[in-house]
Amino acid sequence: MAGYGVAAVAAVLVLYPVFFLFQAALDVGDPQVRPPTAYGFDNFNGIFQYPQILLNTLTVSVAATVMALVFGFVMAWILTRTNVPGRHLFEQLMAVPYYLTPLLGALAWSLLGSPESGFINQIWRALGGTGHLIDINTAYGIAWVMALFEGSVAFVMIAAVMKSMDPALEEASQIIGASRLRTMLRITLPLVIPGVLGAAIFVFAEMLGSFAAALVLGTPNRYYVITTAIYQLVQQYPPKIQVAAAMGVSLFAVMFFMLFLYRRIVMAGSYVTITGKAFRPRVADVGPLRYVLLGVCVLYLLAAVGLPLVTLLYASLQKIAVAFPTAENWTLDNFRVAMTMNAVRSALTNSLLLGFGTATIGVVLMGLLAWLIYRSRLPGSGLIEYVVMFPQAVPRLVFAFGLMWAWVVFPIPIYGTLWLLLLAYLTVFLPLGVRTIAGVMLQIDKSLEECAQMCGAPWAFRVRTVTIPLLMPGLIAAWLLLFIASIRELGASILLMGPHSKVITPSIVESWFGTSSELTTTLALIQTLVVAIAMIVLVAVTRRVGAHPVD
Amino acid sequence: MPASLPGAPASSSPSKPHIEVDRLELYYGSVPAVRGVSFNVLPGEQLTLLGPSGCGKTTTLRAIAGLEQPTAGEIRIDGVTVYSAEQRINMRAEKRGLSMVFQSYAIWPHMTVFENVAYGLRVRRAGAAEIAEKVHHALDMVQMRSFASRRAAQLSGGQQQRVALARAFVFSPSVLLFDEPLSNLDAKLRADMRIELRELQHRLGITSVYVTHDLEEALAMSDRIVVMRDGLIEQTGTPDEIYRLPNSAFVADFVGSANLIRGRHRADLDTDGLIALETPAGHIVHGMAYGRPVGAELVVSVRTVHLRISTEPPAAAQNVWRVPVRQTVFQGDFTQVHLGWGPQHLIARCAAMEPLAAGREVYITVEPRHVVVLGA
Amino acid sequence: MSDSKKSNVTRRTLLKAGAAMPLLGIAAPSVLAQTPLKSPTKIHDFMTNADVEKAEQEGQLVFYCHENEPGTAGIMEGFRKDFPKINTSYVRAQTGALYTKILSERSAGRFDVDVIQLSDLAPAVDFQKKGGYEHYVSPETPAYKADHLSSPAGSFFWTGVDPAGIAYNTTKVSAADAPKTWQDILNPRWKGSISCKISASGLQFVQWYTLRKLYGAGFWKEFAKQNPHAFDSRVQLFDRLAKGDDTITAIGEYPAYILFKDKGAKVEFVAPADGLPATPLIVGAVSKAPHPEAAKLFVDWAMSKRGQAWYQTNPNLYYGSVRTDAPPMPTGVRLGDLKLLYPADWDDYAANRDVFAKEWNGMLGL
Repeated sequence: MAGYGVAAVAAVLVLYPVFFLFQAALDVGDPQVRPPTAYGFDNFNGIFQYPQILLNTLTVSVAATVMALVFGFVMAWILTRTNVPGRHLFEQLMAVPYYLTPLLGALAWSLLGSPESGFINQIWRALGGTGHLIDINTAYGIAWVMALFEGSVAFVMIAAVMKSMDPALEEASQIIGASRLRTMLRITLPLVIPGVLGAAIFVFAEMLGSFAAALVLGTPNRYYVITTAIYQLVQQYPPKIQVAAAMGVSLFAVMFFMLFLYRRIVMAGSYVTITGKAFRPRVADVGPLRYVLLGVCVLYLLAAVGLPLVTLLYASLQKIAVAFPTAENWTLDNFRVAMTMNAVRSALTNSLLLGFGTATIGVVLMGLLAWLIYRSRLPGSGLIEYVVMFPQAVPRLVFAFGLMWAWVVFPIPIYGTLWLLLLAYLTVFLPLGVRTIAGVMLQIDKSLEECAQMCGAPWAFRVRTVTIPLLMPGLIAAWLLLFIASIRELGASILLMGPHSKVITPSIVESWFGTSSELTTTLALIQTLVVAIAMIVLVAVTRRVGAHPVD
Repeated sequence: MPASLPGAPASSSPSKPHIEVDRLELYYGSVPAVRGVSFNVLPGEQLTLLGPSGCGKTTTLRAIAGLEQPTAGEIRIDGVTVYSAEQRINMRAEKRGLSMVFQSYAIWPHMTVFENVAYGLRVRRAGAAEIAEKVHHALDMVQMRSFASRRAAQLSGGQQQRVALARAFVFSPSVLLFDEPLSNLDAKLRADMRIELRELQHRLGITSVYVTHDLEEALAMSDRIVVMRDGLIEQTGTPDEIYRLPNSAFVADFVGSANLIRGRHRADLDTDGLIALETPAGHIVHGMAYGRPVGAELVVSVRTVHLRISTEPPAAAQNVWRVPVRQTVFQGDFTQVHLGWGPQHLIARCAAMEPLAAGREVYITVEPRHVVVLGA
Repeated sequence: MSDSKKSNVTRRTLLKAGAAMPLLGIAAPSVLAQTPLKSPTKIHDFMTNADVEKAEQEGQLVFYCHENEPGTAGIMEGFRKDFPKINTSYVRAQTGALYTKILSERSAGRFDVDVIQLSDLAPAVDFQKKGGYEHYVSPETPAYKADHLSSPAGSFFWTGVDPAGIAYNTTKVSAADAPKTWQDILNPRWKGSISCKISASGLQFVQWYTLRKLYGAGFWKEFAKQNPHAFDSRVQLFDRLAKGDDTITAIGEYPAYILFKDKGAKVEFVAPADGLPATPLIVGAVSKAPHPEAAKLFVDWAMSKRGQAWYQTNPNLYYGSVRTDAPPMPTGVRLGDLKLLYPADWDDYAANRDVFAKEWNGMLGL
């Protein structure tokens, strides 16, 4: 049936590159010769030559996870359980750092927090301090940026847990006479902890595979984590592909294990978070404290959104970016040069094109897969779910590695073209897309489709007249999500770009390593602006087309 | 594989069953939902599957609809086998030519009321004029005509219910399946809708299979009732039969409230076609066997409404006892009186009366024909 | 590699080839055998053996280059100005990575590159041996000394020279404390705030090799103790230098110094008396190119006075030209004024590539 065809496509997309990744990791023959001449496990020994890297990875990931959980918990608490003003607006705004991408955050915080040239440190010295106030190029600096920009997933998960808690449980405690504090400690916290634990595992797995912050902030200081080490090993001359592949496989194994754990503990079987009945959580009136909490929210958004954007703008207008520029330092030159850089203009167009392509094809592919896994009753749908969720366990960079090898030898010449990037994106975004669409799909009462059946409608008619219209809001949300995700993608694109297939985010990285920081910030700003405009247009259009709320 | 069934009402002879369910079994993995159920539905009749939650009634209904895949057995509709485990036949739901009203109404929120009702006709490629006529007619029948262009999502529960109903019969199906359609309505509305549904069904003459856990509903609307428990059928019969002559303790207590009395058969005290029973406390009760086997140990059922309470000794020959009142519970239209009877509790339901003080001694009596010997 | 054209040489081409002979030295016979059919045409103000019309029909040029992005974009901009009908696209990566890339592509059967520019002679020679370069003798060849061409000529040429000295941040380092000789970069006071380039860089390899020859193998082992930060591009090095993130850089490239001085950065350049390690910047047309005529046209353009002027004056390039009739660099300095250090024995140099890479990567922690 067509269902198996779609499943087969997904399986090939996901497993073909993974095979090549493993092949490279086990290749102990001459690295220049393909296919491999000898197989063995020696490359894995190579990893142990770099114990510092493993330690670094752990340090950064743990620190980032803890920070992300703290931010996430505090913000979730404030925004779902207290009557801080502007709750709903803030909840929407919490997603903005994700759209800004951790790369931008890293660039901005590098400008802010470098020990010598960072603006914050310059201001500190101007105020009479010595040395530097903060050093962003350390493990904790990297973790800070990671937590700010990649940690919003912790917020989303914890907020969901808090929202899905039955307020009656707390009310029961209070009726008996327990104080608010006691209720929180004895009732709320224990109920929330399993969900927080799940979020912790999930976030930790994500942080292990994080790339952008460590690349910008760690690499100049020779501070490597596994992902940046893999990148370096691939880029350096001569490249140590096999060791890199072995590292990739090891990282993948750890992440896979973590996500397996997560699934066991939290999901009890399915990757889709079904919130089920949505309770209205009790919102506590915290009195005048709510203005303090408002300040906390504003502070968070400043650190994650406001400050970085202003910093980037500030730097882009100077010849050599400093905290206290003289009159001659101001210039519009950076913008002039940036506009003429062909690589930027074509990268922007490519990224937008790719975004469209990925989102459109992705929604169809992932919609079918979601239906296949969660709605049809075909045997083997559990297996398909595993395959589809597989890419989540593989850091993008590592996956791209496998893709690189896989598609170089492919008879159809897509290597170095946008098609390869499209394939890569469709593959790495499978978990994201399927999960989003499935979440909406499962909220639709099955009886709506069954009723269409009972009215005599065959499958295609049903899908067209009932399923898709009901799914439309979810499909649109998934489309936008995929669009943004493909534009901000870094790990996979950076290895797969070719001369005719430059895309935005890796171009910014290239610029960081190859041009002045002022020019880089200019590029980053221009690209953020274009994407923001694109998003506004898209959201406006889809709101027009948008469907009716589901009951 | 037979083609889809026609949508015209069954016109065959009244005695030939319209729907036949034969030794149906349905297991979810190793968990049994339906463990061997057989019954027939005659053309134009309303058959109700009644039972507590988990008894398998909804599963059976959905199996007939084609929305669940049974594990064993056969289902035939108008003589055509739509499901057979042996012959490996399983006709898709959309081809069986049935129609269904869902518990949640399943009104499509993205369509208007008109579009919702018209759906089944559109599937059947009816022309615009025909659709307009039939839809309006159907909406008239459920008094929702003025809502035709309203967005379906804006309707109240009761309104959605009517639209679901209109949608279900607009394309003149031969069979209507109802999955607890009234359970989400409040009590008053439910009572009204019951009557409307019954009238509608009679008017259209459609064969119906109705699922509910609500006793009153079943008794009010059905031609025949199938009482189910734990995936099996307890008893099949008309509402009157089931009410008056339950054949097991379960049915007796489920269909109306009943007192169950156990005792030894006192054949020596049998008289006039009545059976005598002695309780462990020594009371002698006279009742009727109604053709059920009478063993050494018996159980009889006495409906709470059949226990008469009086302050003066009644003029009956058998089944008179003087007992204390334990408690009275005011229930509006009736009062429930709990009485002590030896070691046992008896419950009597009477029309609203003066409350009786606890401890007060009264006389209770019940006509022997209302004391029913239960089957195995 | 050698195209067997018909030996239908005209007298005129023979004369031209003959005229070039004394300059080319050894390779004369083979050059004669491969003289192209057409006579060179004049386009703009230089001579080309490429079919300009055909090149414009091809409409594309794919350029692989080691330069940073503005530099590579700059080179392409120059070519496009003169030949607007030819669309340009480029891939940039440091020499080591670039060379690996093109080799692995070719071994997988992909030939997508027209022209390649490398910042290291060793891979260029290696590529020539592997038949990677298209054999093409430009009519501009006479303007170059034999030393600055491939041997035999026709594979590649030196499009420029990139010399490096020491550079430091003047706000952090007083003139008195400033380094003066190469030994000064080993001073422990620079530990943790000194920068260099990554092992993929051609210039870094040259510096390693030449200074090692001068001061012994221990020199770089001492340098490792400085915990240097390594980067991909000279712009990055000077960016950090200008902002004070690094105090001094061990490989301050002259072109970058000029660029940043223009911007008002507080940096200073030191040319140690022992000499400035310099690497040639090598350009050559690639064999089995998808747009062969455009490739040839580019080589001619790059070799011409016009192209060289572009290379020399574009702020993102500022290369020193080795063309015998080239004017001084924008600062007034001629390449000849500087004491340049090249590897004496290019073969020994090439053979040491792996040694260098291993030592350098180890020094940097990977």
